[in-house]
Amino acid sequence: MTVDQVSAEIDRSAAQADADRARAAVRPRTSMAARRHRAFYLFTSPWIVGFLLLTIVPMAYALWLSFTTFDGVSPHWRYVGLGNYRELFADSQTWDALGRTGLFAVTSVPLSITAGLGLAVLVNRPLRARGLFRVLLYLPAVVPPVGAGLAFKALFDQNSGAANGVLTLFGFDALGWLNDPYARYVLLMTVLWGAGNIMIISLAGLQDVPRELHEAARIDGASAWRSFRSITVPLLSPVLLFQTVTGVIASVQTIMPLLLSPDGTTQGVTAISQSNYMYMMHVFAEYFALGRYGYASALLWVLFVLILGATGLIFKFTSGVVFYNVDPEAKK
Amino acid sequence: MTVTSLSTDSTAGPSSTSAPRVRVRANRLVLYTVLVAITGLFTGPFGWLVLTGLKTPAELAASPVHWLPDHFQWHNFADAYQLIDFLGYARNSLIIATLYATLVTLSSAWVGFGFARLDAPGKKTLFGILVGSMMLPQLITLLPTYLIFAKLGMVDTYWPWVLWGLAATPYLVFLFRQFFAGLPRELEEAAIVDGCGYTGVFWRIFLPQSWPVLSAGFVIAFTWTWGDYIAPQLLLSTDRSTLAVAVMSTYVNAAGIPVTNLQAAGSVMYVVPILLVFLVAQRGFVAGMATSGLK
Repeated sequence: MTVDQVSAEIDRSAAQADADRARAAVRPRTSMAARRHRAFYLFTSPWIVGFLLLTIVPMAYALWLSFTTFDGVSPHWRYVGLGNYRELFADSQTWDALGRTGLFAVTSVPLSITAGLGLAVLVNRPLRARGLFRVLLYLPAVVPPVGAGLAFKALFDQNSGAANGVLTLFGFDALGWLNDPYARYVLLMTVLWGAGNIMIISLAGLQDVPRELHEAARIDGASAWRSFRSITVPLLSPVLLFQTVTGVIASVQTIMPLLLSPDGTTQGVTAISQSNYMYMMHVFAEYFALGRYGYASALLWVLFVLILGATGLIFKFTSGVVFYNVDPEAKK
Repeated sequence: MTVTSLSTDSTAGPSSTSAPRVRVRANRLVLYTVLVAITGLFTGPFGWLVLTGLKTPAELAASPVHWLPDHFQWHNFADAYQLIDFLGYARNSLIIATLYATLVTLSSAWVGFGFARLDAPGKKTLFGILVGSMMLPQLITLLPTYLIFAKLGMVDTYWPWVLWGLAATPYLVFLFRQFFAGLPRELEEAAIVDGCGYTGVFWRIFLPQSWPVLSAGFVIAFTWTWGDYIAPQLLLSTDRSTLAVAVMSTYVNAAGIPVTNLQAAGSVMYVVPILLVFLVAQRGFVAGMATSGLK
């Protein structure tokens, strides 16, 4: 054997040994567990990739734009650092819109959750035709926002609306419901109109409350209200917490003022009554009417951080009163 | 439920004297009155929209309010249908909603299977992010998404709905995960031992089992897309846009003032299909919504 052949032989056996080692190392991984690991990522990848591309990337892009004067058209945009943020914090319109949004969230969310829970308790009773009541009360929650907006516009129209019809019937003056200062109440009513959604979710929760608990409480002499407060509400608390958080986020993002406005398009966003000119409307106005994409992006990021903060606070302050009696993992 | 109405309604206990019995009956009367009144308030606005669509412009301008039209203007519905390209917009809505609902139901079932039946390091974190992302404000990502889609030349196409559909959605993933997690383990074990991959298990065993959830998911996603206003308004030009956008902005006279009675008639025709879908599929739909309480 020549030296070359020997060294080639050594190389080969070394390669062979490497391959053996590699195979040995791989073998345990081809077990059931490893297959399940790979399959897990295969199955969850559409969501992971989608989340990165359709949520994280747009958010990052908006963050970058928020430091610029980009308007979508002009090629002469530039980096302005925190300029947009300084401007928006100095803008009284931002603060006013933020205040209205906050007020709307803290009134509409508790009211609609109370209404939804109340309706759930009502239609959870053994009634005749309770299936029909459930369907009819839930129906408005399925009406698309555009339909709801137009229905409420028709209902509260100054001349042809039924609301003013009832008022004049009882000798009161007709009101300009869709203008200030009443527009905010109309908006609130559109939210309460959709309380059937919370009703259905609470109803499912109510039916999971073990019957024996209420019976035991009754034997101990507890009143219906007491047993509702001390048994039903704590057991429903995770559901109520989730409703609160998603409700706050939905109310902050509501586009209903847009649909209730005389014009009803994103271009006509500035025609919205003052009392319904909320934070998201301010974003739309800057974005569509003024084309200030950079500034609107800064507004969006501020709102995002505020929502994160609000969600965190809600979780923090409810941690002591929310009871998770059912572990979702336990179902396996 | 087999409990009699008396024993659950009465807080007075099982006493059989006649005074509580009368009180129970009075209670029930109050209860029904309250329920009927609330139901009236809940169905009223839509009823008023229908009535508005049946009046003449003169009746709508009259003051005080004209409760009922003198003659039901049924032709308003035909006019609303003809004034705009109603069928075209309805077709666009139908395409987008079917496309998105089909894709997102399948992709969410796929991802939900992963979270329900499979395991890997990082699963808990990923699931936490998934549930957390249900709470992400969607409008906040929509405006930058529009700019990105514009750069990619996907504005005025239905590609965004395809991509959103393929990416699954946390809400439906959660729904499918709950359902798949409840199925017995033996279902997949035999197939795996026989050398069937997880893909095969999913397609041949789990998916055929999940018709109720699939249809609920489809109806829910279809309803979202049919009702969505902002995304089509942003991403589609007028003739490609959906009924939601058209009903809101195209029923105007030459001066640009909305023609209220036709707009009302048009929006009734826009809303009714979705109400019918809901009424037909309500069982599955409601079960789907109920799961979202994150029990």
